Amino acid sequence: MLLMVTTTYAQTELTAAEATAMKAKVKALSEQTETITADFVQYKHLDFLSNDIKSEGKLAFKAPNWVKWEYVKPFAYAVLFKNETLFINDDGNKSDMDMGSNSIFKQLNQLITASIKGDMFDAEEFDVTYFKNDKGYIVHFKPKNDQFATFIKTFEITFNDLGEVIAVKMLEPSEDYTQIIFSNRKTNQKLSDAVFTP
Amino acid sequence: MRYLLPSFLIVLLISCSSYPKKHGFVKVESPLQQVKNPYFSDVSKDYVYKAAIEAFGKNFGGIFIVKKLAANQHRVVFTTEMGNKIFDFSFHGDEFKINYVLPQLDKKILINILKTDFQVLTTEELRIRKEFKNNSNSLYETSIDSKKYYSHVTENELQQIVRVKNTKEKVEFLFSEINDNIAEHIQVIHQNFKLKITLKAL
Repeated sequence: MLLMVTTTYAQTELTAAEATAMKAKVKALSEQTETITADFVQYKHLDFLSNDIKSEGKLAFKAPNWVKWEYVKPFAYAVLFKNETLFINDDGNKSDMDMGSNSIFKQLNQLITASIKGDMFDAEEFDVTYFKNDKGYIVHFKPKNDQFATFIKTFEITFNDLGEVIAVKMLEPSEDYTQIIFSNRKTNQKLSDAVFTP
Repeated sequence: MRYLLPSFLIVLLISCSSYPKKHGFVKVESPLQQVKNPYFSDVSKDYVYKAAIEAFGKNFGGIFIVKKLAANQHRVVFTTEMGNKIFDFSFHGDEFKINYVLPQLDKKILINILKTDFQVLTTEELRIRKEFKNNSNSLYETSIDSKKYYSHVTENELQQIVRVKNTKEKVEFLFSEINDNIAEHIQVIHQNFKLKITLKAL
């Protein structure tokens, strides 16, 4: 974690030409991506806590926008974003929510899909800035919507040199944040629809 | 009428029977001044729970976090599993501060309920007004924010805090699976309306 923080500081803003090249690379990769599976570790940082709250899980994505986040440790909890509905399985207790009427959920879903595929540079709802460090690229998305901005100040996606998303950080106005680090990423493997059954 | 009046009196007398009496406790002279709630009392610990909330027919979950910052000072935060904050409150003695609340939940009546509940959970020392006994179980009458609470203690373990009004249970705070001053399982059950919070230590 300390390392991640250090590298975040050693970032320089991309020139317009570099940003264009980087976007093209991510876009090209994103367009060829039909499925993704990965493991993730989530760190919830609250400034007043002694330690970040760590949870772990698995992620599955199927184009164009089915996403399943499944926490396995230290609790069992899965959220499935499918079409306009958010399905929750909280340790066996199932519920769902229509996202169609909720713009915050829509934007959140957009961010989540983007966090996996990376391609959301054209989203009108965000001001986007591009940075580079020794690990790859970091892109900052700042919500323009005031209501959304009350719970996410910036959304940062870290890409490796190949243009794959390797980490995501959601920064709150209070400077508390949620950081998600991906590993064991597998692209375009056959993924049954059953994985996305609520 | 002649018969109605006495039976009415009997009903009145039974319903007026005190909370301790109703539960088989008799008053004793208390050698103790205070009853302690140790469950959120260690500044070196991060208290993190998986929460399940049943509220007015709806169920939802999240992560419930309590941190003792200093004497009589606690931070209480609730987030979604994905990390988004739902609310973030500070308690400092009698002072209460809202650091954040999700706009959709920013309702005075709800905030007051949560504030009162979390104040009870985090208050460490309760001054004893009366003590009652039932075999080896002790019951202490205390007050928080001028409301009457009874604390059930068995074998030196605080197991329940119950808010009582006119002998009736209004809110119950149940502590179980207690290990090393951590209540691994906590329930807050409201009797007035449908609200139940279940916490499991992570």
